[in-house]
Amino acid sequence: MYHSVCNLSDLKPNVPVTFEVDDRFVLVTLIDGEVYCIDDVCTHDGGTLGEGEVDGNCIACPRHGAKFDLRSGDALCMPATEPTCSHDVKVDSGTVLVQLRD
Amino acid sequence: MNAALIASESLGKFSREGFDAFVARRIDPIWLTEKRRSVWETFDAMDWPNPRDENWMRSDLRGFKLDKFTPVDETLTLEPTAAPVRLRDGVDMGGDISSVNGLVISQSLDPELAAKGVVFCSLSKACRDHAELVKKHLHSLIDSAADRFAALEAAMWSDGVFLYVPRNVVVEKPLHLHSAMVDGGIDLAHTLVVLEEGAQATVLTECSSEVEQGSGFHCGGVELILGARSNLRFVSLQDWGQKVWAFAHQKASVGQDATIQWTVAAMGSRFAQVDQQVELVAPGASSYVNGVMFTRDRQHLTYNTIQRHCSQHCTSDFLYKSVLQDRSRTVWRGMIKVDEGADKTDGYQRNDNLMLSDHARADSIPGLEIKADDVRCTHGSTSGRVDEELIFYAQTRGFTRHEAVLMIVTGFFQQIFDRITIESVREALGAAIARQVRQVD
Repeated sequence: MYHSVCNLSDLKPNVPVTFEVDDRFVLVTLIDGEVYCIDDVCTHDGGTLGEGEVDGNCIACPRHGAKFDLRSGDALCMPATEPTCSHDVKVDSGTVLVQLRD
Repeated sequence: MNAALIASESLGKFSREGFDAFVARRIDPIWLTEKRRSVWETFDAMDWPNPRDENWMRSDLRGFKLDKFTPVDETLTLEPTAAPVRLRDGVDMGGDISSVNGLVISQSLDPELAAKGVVFCSLSKACRDHAELVKKHLHSLIDSAADRFAALEAAMWSDGVFLYVPRNVVVEKPLHLHSAMVDGGIDLAHTLVVLEEGAQATVLTECSSEVEQGSGFHCGGVELILGARSNLRFVSLQDWGQKVWAFAHQKASVGQDATIQWTVAAMGSRFAQVDQQVELVAPGASSYVNGVMFTRDRQHLTYNTIQRHCSQHCTSDFLYKSVLQDRSRTVWRGMIKVDEGADKTDGYQRNDNLMLSDHARADSIPGLEIKADDVRCTHGSTSGRVDEELIFYAQTRGFTRHEAVLMIVTGFFQQIFDRITIESVREALGAAIARQVRQVD
């Protein structure tokens, strides 16, 4: 099921925004004209990524520096070894819609 | 919809206006109203817990919105709910109290116990009828400024239970408390137990929601005060609905040569954060704490435990075991604190975690803070996945995979069951665990 989270015009390139979708927090980011969504959760210690430093397509966890790809959720460096969950996104008439994966 | 919810729509939220309306509706003695007002100011001035705080850094509170909930209207007459009661089956009770949404709806006590001076009643009633006794002990252990939840509970607890057992009185039959919550309801209840010197009692407390997937907000407090040579067996079964936010501060103070056996079982709620402390305040005090956590889906349960040795020759033994399914998470932070001069301390803590899923997560953080010279303090922690070889072996003997997992989980908890001295509690926990075990992928 897709949930409306924001308007496409609300997103700035490479600036992740946190939204609550169905009791979960996710990061929605506009990168190279595409919208991506990953869990706002660091798989290293379960902390939140949202306030982390963004460098291009990746975000660093503010606690221990683990980096994740904002598009795929892949863990890019230690101490995280597991990807964080990525979710399906579509844009319909300027509205960004997210469908959660397990 | 339950009348409690419909009527509460107009009562205002947990704002200053809501608090004023709450106080005005109640028939509290003046000393209590003043106390509430004072703590409300503390609450109002505080921020929500800082995610950088060690106690809260593994807890994501962003989804919790206090404004979604409304203080309950204590002028309403609430009806019993269909929320399950598990600890009462087949037990000859000495007293029984039921509450809905944090308001006591029925209470009873064996007349023989009442004749011996035992008090077991609604806390609101006790504040009126036993004012001096309650005033002396209420919120004497829990720091109302510990965090915003402690302050909210101290300012706006709606009801709860007061148990008082006089000197050398032995209460043989267990006393039972059931707290129910309707879907979307709240429960701000306080439990206060006072055992005088040489007194003995067994208290079984449990909470559950009318709807298994029900939402709600629990913010509670438990204070257990044990005089010298007293003995308390205290059981707490938490089985709130799967969307309930639950916060609690629980503390026991154990006097000279007194013993507490405290069993905690946590199965329910979407998110629970419990601060549990036992203070051994005089020589020879002992505490034995058993904790069982069984989680599923995306539940997140946090227990921060402190066993504090303030005096010499005291014993504390904490054993917490968790079984995690699906994408659930548990956090256990255990600390043994030994004060200066508290020699001949014997402190032990252990936390074992069994993961039934690749996606579950258990954080286990035992700790020691010792300021005395002559002590024995040990702690341990284990975490691991369920052993596929064990499952395979059981399957070769004719068990299904589900039966095999249930057997392994039961065996994992057996150490705790062996430490629980009340048969009905063992049976209720076993049944609750069996009900929750799902297929392991």
